[in-house]
Amino acid sequence: MKKIIVGVLMSALVFTSCNKDDDETVVTTPGTPAPTQVEIATATTSNNETVTLYADESQLSTGYENMYVTVKDASGNAIEDATVEFAPLMDMGTMQHACPFVNPTFDNTINKYKGYVVYTMSSMGGTWTLGVSVNGNLATFTLNIADSPTKVVGNYTGTDGVTYIVSLLRPVTWNVGMNDVEFLLHTKASMMSFPAVTDFTMVMTPWMTSMNHGSPNNIDPVHVGNGHYNGEVNFTMTGDWRLHLQLNQNGTEIHSDAFLDILF
Amino acid sequence: MRDDTFYFDMRRIIITTLLLGYATIASAQTDSTEHSNVLIQEVTVHGDKLNEDNLEFKQKDNVQVLIDKMLYNINGVSLIKRGNYAQEPIIRGLNPSQINTTVDGMQIFGACTDHMDPISSYVEPNNLSSIRLQLGPNSEQVGASIGGGFDFKLNKAKLGADKFVSGTIGTGYEANASAFRVLGSIQLSKKRWAVRANSIYRKSQNYTDGNGREIHFSQYEKLNFGVSSVFALNENNFIYLDYLQDDGRDIGYPALTMDVSFANAKIGSISHVYKKTGKTLYLLESKIYANYIDHAMDDSKRPDSLIAMRMDMPGTSSTFGFYSNASLRFGKKHFVKFKLNGYSNDLHAEMTMYPLIGAEMFMLTLPDTRRTVGGIDLSDKILITEKLKLSTGIRFDYVLSSITTEMGRQTLSGIYSGDLDKNHYLLNVFTQLNYKLNKKLSVSGGVAKAMRAPNAQELYAFYLFNRFDNYDYLGNPDIKQEESWNFNISANYRLKKLVLTTKVFAYYFKNYITGAKLPSSEYSAMTIGASGVKQYVNLDNAIIAGAEVGFKWKINKNFFFSSMNAFSYGEDYKHRALFMIPPLKSINTIVYSMKGYNFSLKYTTAMAQNNIDYDFYGENSTREFNLFDLSAGKTFKVKRFKYDVNIALDNIFNVPYYEHLDVMKINRQGRNLLVSLKFTF
Repeated sequence: MKKIIVGVLMSALVFTSCNKDDDETVVTTPGTPAPTQVEIATATTSNNETVTLYADESQLSTGYENMYVTVKDASGNAIEDATVEFAPLMDMGTMQHACPFVNPTFDNTINKYKGYVVYTMSSMGGTWTLGVSVNGNLATFTLNIADSPTKVVGNYTGTDGVTYIVSLLRPVTWNVGMNDVEFLLHTKASMMSFPAVTDFTMVMTPWMTSMNHGSPNNIDPVHVGNGHYNGEVNFTMTGDWRLHLQLNQNGTEIHSDAFLDILF
Repeated sequence: MRDDTFYFDMRRIIITTLLLGYATIASAQTDSTEHSNVLIQEVTVHGDKLNEDNLEFKQKDNVQVLIDKMLYNINGVSLIKRGNYAQEPIIRGLNPSQINTTVDGMQIFGACTDHMDPISSYVEPNNLSSIRLQLGPNSEQVGASIGGGFDFKLNKAKLGADKFVSGTIGTGYEANASAFRVLGSIQLSKKRWAVRANSIYRKSQNYTDGNGREIHFSQYEKLNFGVSSVFALNENNFIYLDYLQDDGRDIGYPALTMDVSFANAKIGSISHVYKKTGKTLYLLESKIYANYIDHAMDDSKRPDSLIAMRMDMPGTSSTFGFYSNASLRFGKKHFVKFKLNGYSNDLHAEMTMYPLIGAEMFMLTLPDTRRTVGGIDLSDKILITEKLKLSTGIRFDYVLSSITTEMGRQTLSGIYSGDLDKNHYLLNVFTQLNYKLNKKLSVSGGVAKAMRAPNAQELYAFYLFNRFDNYDYLGNPDIKQEESWNFNISANYRLKKLVLTTKVFAYYFKNYITGAKLPSSEYSAMTIGASGVKQYVNLDNAIIAGAEVGFKWKINKNFFFSSMNAFSYGEDYKHRALFMIPPLKSINTIVYSMKGYNFSLKYTTAMAQNNIDYDFYGENSTREFNLFDLSAGKTFKVKRFKYDVNIALDNIFNVPYYEHLDVMKINRQGRNLLVSLKFTF
């Protein structure tokens, strides 16, 4: 009899103790480099430095893209202390324009210079080139920018008549539940100048378009520096989500509905 | 007498009630369980002083009716109806979370988030020997609960039966829904071993209500089978192996927006029983069990015009557990029961939605919840004097609730930021006094302090749609356990041919768990067409009180009359009427029996329920109804074989009616002609 009681107690312990997790979901911070960066192209500067361009994925697409660069001198030694600058340009034939970007800086953890470019349109409308200058010596890459599957960058004209570019940091693995979300906000000062906007506030409303409902407990993005706005978004399910952003400056509404789309 | 039951009180009074055909009938006989005519079911009410809160319904013969129908005829039991199948039983207006439903002491949890599969839907009368009803903490309770619960006792193979091979074959037909069934059982019995197998197949089409309207999506189909075996190791030790499988198919739920394409349950156990009459430890029963339910809810049978968006909502439930119960006696007047049990239940429910335009959507509606429970229970019965009996008990349970997957935790991160693992410590205590004034009158009274842990839905539900109030529900991991003070007083007056039983009860809840609306500015309903979002909360207090009056009268040799009347009233601390409280209901049956023939007329009525609250609980009133059923039966004995023939006419006047607990208030069945045949060998 005792054996039986011991037996049932043991079995109880066995099933209560195996309380381990069944799976793990990777949660990434927006804009964190992909585990391995993919080489896009190689070019040579006027000073014979070899510049290799990398991205998170082999196919670049519209919106925010981390762009990585390695530089080697003529004898093949890596140069890690150069001044590297980006110069993106879209040539549409009748006109040319640049887009928001930040110049790369050397990142020890990945041994590459890292910056970003926000491609505001795809290569369908013209030719994208990215100039990379190393200590002032230029290498030029011609890029093929595909349309992103969802709208992750948008131009919106504010009530002040100024054009704003809102973009969503990538890459992100979206999950059902709470997610970190990060936006970039730039303004179009000229065709070639897109400074970061640092003094706005945002009200974010996620919306499930195909079911016409929102989600609770979202945290509105706030400015954290250099045009980055960090918030938290709650996705109650997978599917098509639209992030509606109300852009305000000093309490004045500049744009009522700048939106970006997410699908996961 | 003693060794086939847990009830060891010497002075128990057994009131044997006969349920006949499709009606409830009774005859007031003392200490008799032997009936051989057209008995379909035998009800043994343990009216003994020590077990006032236990009613055990021993089922003998009526294995053809749906279990729902059997439960309907128990005084104080009501059914929440969502379709013509798998109705959810409740007791005295307590909600399903406040009672504990088990099969042979095994914890089983439905896999459907819409309560489509209460545990009672996975057992068949064919599987059962009895249904044990408990009304609060007592010596027979299986786990911590506020208001007791149901334990469906499986029919065991019997050692040393008269015949090595015995069994039954039966079939039945119901005209209203063209419902057909065929069933059988067989038992092989030797002195040292016995095996019993049983099976039933049911198929029903849509039924028609009292207005002649076909109720679409009320069909069902199922195949249920069970195998039970017993091996005697020696004269005191026995091993039982039990397996039960229930496969439901194409089950319609007219009150819901979805149906069930399949609902499969696999329930298995191995038990050891030690019995030794006369010893201090005279009964020790231990069991290890496991069960798995796979449930697929979808809307594939519904026409496009009724569907805003197609969806699938499958769910699973798996449980492992054990229990060990020791029964001891000290002399003739003192009995002690010691129980130990534990189980772990995992629930998973998900939803995939398919919009006409756009990507499909996926979410977990029950995000991989696990509840691990351990309990220890000690109860004591003592005969203080010949007339005064006292039973007391104490039970402690530990409940750990958690989420087992990262995806589950991530899902809930959008509504809750704290630790999702929750501990609850539950204490159930009761004391019951029984006093026999004289041979005719006995009175009983008791107090219990009960607690229950919030269930997985109340803790972790994620936009679970509730058709009853049209709200999406969110769980609340911070919700507190519900507690109650239970009070009961009863009196039993019996003459030679008449029994009158009156029970008065009250449950005073603290931290009553229910849903409260969340602000629509922040929470938008997920389900298309839902009114909003509610979250489970604790209300400060609430009360349910009521009474049951039972009357049985053997008028003469041929006529017998019984009447069962039950009433409940409930309100919360703001004096809002609680929801799903059945109104006064009365079931009255008169039986005429002669020479193996039985005729019965049953009158069922319920008053209107106007004591409702729409604003908070979302409930509407229900009008009264009056219902008449007729049945007739005959048993033939030819040599060693027995033939039972029953014919019944339910709802004779084809009255359109629904009951207060019917979700969406869809009319119940109109007139229905039922025929059943059974052959016993």
